[in-house]
Amino acid sequence: MSESVLKRIARGDERAVTDCIDEFGNLIWALARRLSRTRADAEDAVQEIFTDLWRSAGRFDPAQGSEKVFITTIARRRLIDRMRRSAHQPGGEPVEILDAVGWAEPGTRGEICVEAERAARAVASLRPEQKKVLELGILQGLSHSEIAALTGMPLGTVKTNMRRGLIQVRELMDVVVEDAAGGVQP
Amino acid sequence: MNTAFLRDERLADLLVKQTTEGLTPVEKDELDRLLVRQQKADPELIERVAAALSLAGNLGEEELPAGLRQRVEADGRRLVASSRATVTDIRSRRGEDRSTSTHASQWAWLAVAASLVVAVLGWWPRLRDTMAPESAPELAVNQQPEPAAEPTRELTAAEKRLTLLAKGETIVQSAWSATGDPAAPGVTGDVVWDNGSQTGYLRFSGLTPNDPSKSQYQLWIFDATRDDRYPIDGGVFDVPAGQTEVIVPIQAKLDVKSPAMFAVTIEKPGGVVVSGREHIVALAKVAAG
Repeated sequence: MSESVLKRIARGDERAVTDCIDEFGNLIWALARRLSRTRADAEDAVQEIFTDLWRSAGRFDPAQGSEKVFITTIARRRLIDRMRRSAHQPGGEPVEILDAVGWAEPGTRGEICVEAERAARAVASLRPEQKKVLELGILQGLSHSEIAALTGMPLGTVKTNMRRGLIQVRELMDVVVEDAAGGVQP
Repeated sequence: MNTAFLRDERLADLLVKQTTEGLTPVEKDELDRLLVRQQKADPELIERVAAALSLAGNLGEEELPAGLRQRVEADGRRLVASSRATVTDIRSRRGEDRSTSTHASQWAWLAVAASLVVAVLGWWPRLRDTMAPESAPELAVNQQPEPAAEPTRELTAAEKRLTLLAKGETIVQSAWSATGDPAAPGVTGDVVWDNGSQTGYLRFSGLTPNDPSKSQYQLWIFDATRDDRYPIDGGVFDVPAGQTEVIVPIQAKLDVKSPAMFAVTIEKPGGVVVSGREHIVALAKVAAG
């Protein structure tokens, strides 16, 4: 098995920088576009995310998940932080409207990483309102208040659906693993 | 994977909010306290679930723009190549600082400061005049590694800060205000200081990660019993990338008797004895009384 690109970065292998951008650059760009107000914001965010990545590559632990999940976690953390900061700043450029992003069909995410496929299968089994709240909050980056305004759900219901939905996905991802180990497709 | 800790609804709520829209400083404090109690909790579990869900969405197939890719690659190669040398350099510099500061640094600091009165005259008073009212604080990540980290389980800086806060009324706590410096456009967080033990912690989010080979952040403590022109050096620190919150132990070089204001500047690596006025990134004024 080839060495993880993050491990190579952590030990100072400059070529791993290029390999990492080849492998994950489009993913980080896609996440940044989805969770940034404008294209310019997304470009700034991508630079910050990669800087975070170069410096935290040594923290990658394959026992906790794949490189894609580790990198997506770092990217989301930075993007949420930027969104929170921009929310405190008045005015700014108008938000660019992108096509709404939805859930991929289960069975189509395996090529991305095993956790993505498990999550796709898990989310498909959620109640519609939980699925919708996760879609708006996780994929589209809307705040709980924005989700409440958009869906008409009370804020408390949005929060409950978000919490229960995430926990349920976590539990269902474990079930998928157990079923797969037993040779049964979920 | 043990997810029993998520049965604590409040803890789960805070972890979810942290993952989806971020926490206020008060919420962050609460989360830290709950996590201290739940030693088996995995504070990143919900973030990893959210990451997996992000990957389960149709994100599109737009490619990373070529110009942006070039910038990222150039920055990355430079940073990765310099990382090991930088760590070694900083460690050795800190060692030198400790060895040379033992006997003479306090008096030397005062002497040099006095010789540069003209240079700094008017700076700190101007700071006070321009300081914005305290804004609602937000939180940040860690971390300047604790000095002399033990191989056994030692309290983290976040846990030590909470322990200090638990001492109650004698503790000074003050929120950071941004100054408009581009290094910290939306800096939030707070200072916690205990005069009795002369210990304290800085907590930030929104400070731009620094390259320690080029610059470091430096804390200055204004003491109501001292001349404003000679704030106390509170130590230098770095903001590593990849963490949302930085918690830094304060290393005051002189006794602090009555803290009135804390200020953070950007200085050359290793810090300075007397600061210039170029980069004042955050201020925290201590409420009177």
